[in-house]
Amino acid sequence: MNKFRFQRSQLCIPYGLFLVCFVLAPLVVIIYYAFTNGEGKFTFENLTGFFSSPNTIGTLVYSLGIAVSTTCTCLLLAYPIAYILARSKMKHKSVVLMVFVMPMWINFTLRITALKEILTVIEGNLAYHPFLNTLIGMTYDFLPFMILPIYTTLLKLDNSLLEAAADLGADAVQTFLKVTFPLSVPGIISGIVMVFLPSMTNYVVLDMLYNSTYIMGSLIGAYFSAYDWHNGSMIALILLVIILLFTLFTNRYADEDAGNSRGGVLGS
Amino acid sequence: MRKSKIMHQFAGMGMLVLCGLLGQTVSAQEEPIVLRVCSWEEYIDLGEWDADEAIELDNGTVIFGEKPLYKDFEDWYRETYGKTVRVEYSCFGTNEDLYNQLNMGDSYDLVCPSEYMIMKLIAEDRLIPYSDNFFDKQNANNYYIQNVSPYIQKTLESNEIQGEAWSKYAAGYMWGITGVLYNPALVTEEEASTWEIFGNPKFNRQITLKDNVRDSYFAALGILKKDELTDEAFIQSADYSERLADVMNDVRPETITQAQELLNQLMDNVYSLETDSGKADMITGKIVANYQWSGDAVYAMDQADQDDFELRFAVPKESTNLWFDGWVMLKNGIREDADRQHAAEAFVNFLSRTDSAVRNMYYIGYTSSIAGNAQDDTVYEYLKWCYGADGEEEELMEYPVGYFFSGEKNDERYILQSSADQMGRQLYSQHPPLDVMDRTAIMRYFDADANKAINQMWINVRCFDIDDVPMGVWMALLAALLFIISIGFRKSRRR
Repeated sequence: MNKFRFQRSQLCIPYGLFLVCFVLAPLVVIIYYAFTNGEGKFTFENLTGFFSSPNTIGTLVYSLGIAVSTTCTCLLLAYPIAYILARSKMKHKSVVLMVFVMPMWINFTLRITALKEILTVIEGNLAYHPFLNTLIGMTYDFLPFMILPIYTTLLKLDNSLLEAAADLGADAVQTFLKVTFPLSVPGIISGIVMVFLPSMTNYVVLDMLYNSTYIMGSLIGAYFSAYDWHNGSMIALILLVIILLFTLFTNRYADEDAGNSRGGVLGS
Repeated sequence: MRKSKIMHQFAGMGMLVLCGLLGQTVSAQEEPIVLRVCSWEEYIDLGEWDADEAIELDNGTVIFGEKPLYKDFEDWYRETYGKTVRVEYSCFGTNEDLYNQLNMGDSYDLVCPSEYMIMKLIAEDRLIPYSDNFFDKQNANNYYIQNVSPYIQKTLESNEIQGEAWSKYAAGYMWGITGVLYNPALVTEEEASTWEIFGNPKFNRQITLKDNVRDSYFAALGILKKDELTDEAFIQSADYSERLADVMNDVRPETITQAQELLNQLMDNVYSLETDSGKADMITGKIVANYQWSGDAVYAMDQADQDDFELRFAVPKESTNLWFDGWVMLKNGIREDADRQHAAEAFVNFLSRTDSAVRNMYYIGYTSSIAGNAQDDTVYEYLKWCYGADGEEEELMEYPVGYFFSGEKNDERYILQSSADQMGRQLYSQHPPLDVMDRTAIMRYFDADANKAINQMWINVRCFDIDDVPMGVWMALLAALLFIISIGFRKSRRR
């Protein structure tokens, strides 16, 4: 009789179970529904339907538009802040950083509700600029996710590299372009991943800021509430593939620039 | 099909686990009858009223909610029938959610969906008809048949699907109409009394539509068919009600296409689509009018009154949607268990007691289908308690509600003396006058094809039209793409 011996790998069992029940099994269900029709027969119709309808393609474009512009805005806002914060000789950096991260501690709906009121005061009538409002809402919501990884990579940046660059005659701009920025790319990429993907589907922001246009997330919901599991699942699957491609693409970048200072890319 | 069933069950597993956790333990000696009830959120009085909330009616009845109504039912059932019943009460968010839950394998005995979902369930043969005993007026415990409003019961009896009257399967619970809640300081009653207000450029970006296809489609039909609906000859025709119902249930493909075009235009004029935020936005002044259900309109007017802000409710002159929710018994829940069916019917009867109806109306704000009878005028007394006036401070009006309480239009027993100001206000929304009720139409259940078409129409309206993208954006996107690719190339060349 073998005595039961505890192995470290057995610690993975709880997560493995979790993975099977709540990630793999639903995925199988989604794939099943995506490639069947109402009668349960195998079909590609849902897939071809998605790419032949101007509405679904329009929704995809709109979601991508929101995601790209949110990511760019976040990046433009976050990079200078993270850079200044990481490079400064301030004593209480962590306190300042906390100020930027603090909004994350407040409930998301509450924050957007407050934002809604503030925007109403500024704009008067929110209905005239639905896209802009969504962009502001999303940026407000996801900015900390961009600041943190960039800040972390910049903080770990070896000062001697910058000194070496200066010794070799590079001015501040050159140092930044040739040393600092390339070395911070892994942080930027993990920031992009963390902002881009959720902003493609986070339709609650749109709902709360009175943007009635569907994005990918709400389109799935619309199909589900019309009992159309098949088209809804297909959209979910397409979204998954987009995310997968996106992750592979960014991982490639991250691998190229891989240093020890990788900001933890959402992998696999 | 076996395979898809397994899939359904699998998806429903998470739900079942949750339900299991919510179940309560019981300490009764005998095996209790378990009654699984599923209804809308906030749709039953949960008791725990403050002591000063007790409603003392003129007929001497005191209404007070101490415990949740379904707990009171358990006590009443034990006292009346000597058996223990345990109610497992749960909630659903929308009719579609409930339907999906049922498909995923959740079983309930008694549910309370809206009229079109009831029709769908009848059509799919999922319901059990109420027993003959349920309709026996001689039985003192049959509160439903004794107390239900003749108006509601007549509506249930006269509507059929597949040759079966709704009244066989459904017991009315709450009902209401749809209309326009508006701010009288900025919108006139005339402007609000038509569905065309949603396309009125005067209120550009200041009105909201409802975020669901059925309500929005109804409004679109009201605008599209305006000329026909307001035609005097049409209104005076002998079969006006039937013709009106047919017009407002028009789901021919060409009508759906027209509605889509119209809704696309409306979308450019309205502030947004909403389901819940409209009430608050009316009060904060973000919008000046919104599509509203009568019950929510009452709630919004009450809230606004507390802030000394006046809101009013108007019913479009073209037509309005009469909706109601009703209790139906599900086949796959009851499963021919006579005890359980008895308990389910008793539950409906208990909720149909006049004091239960008043408690619910007070708690929920919607209008109950229960009217009482000649011996028990508690519901009418409650209406008097809410809206009655003696003319000391205000101008009076006579407000006949006989159509609802006794079925006779001008029944002298049911002419309410109320403040004239209530016209277009809470009383008007909660118990609309007969001329409004005459132009109500029930929105039926559409068959699978029509349903699919109308849902697709709604998705088309809501989706972003790719032709709307300005050229500049395409250029910018292209530039961004090229930029990313060029970086990628430079990177790999450097290797």
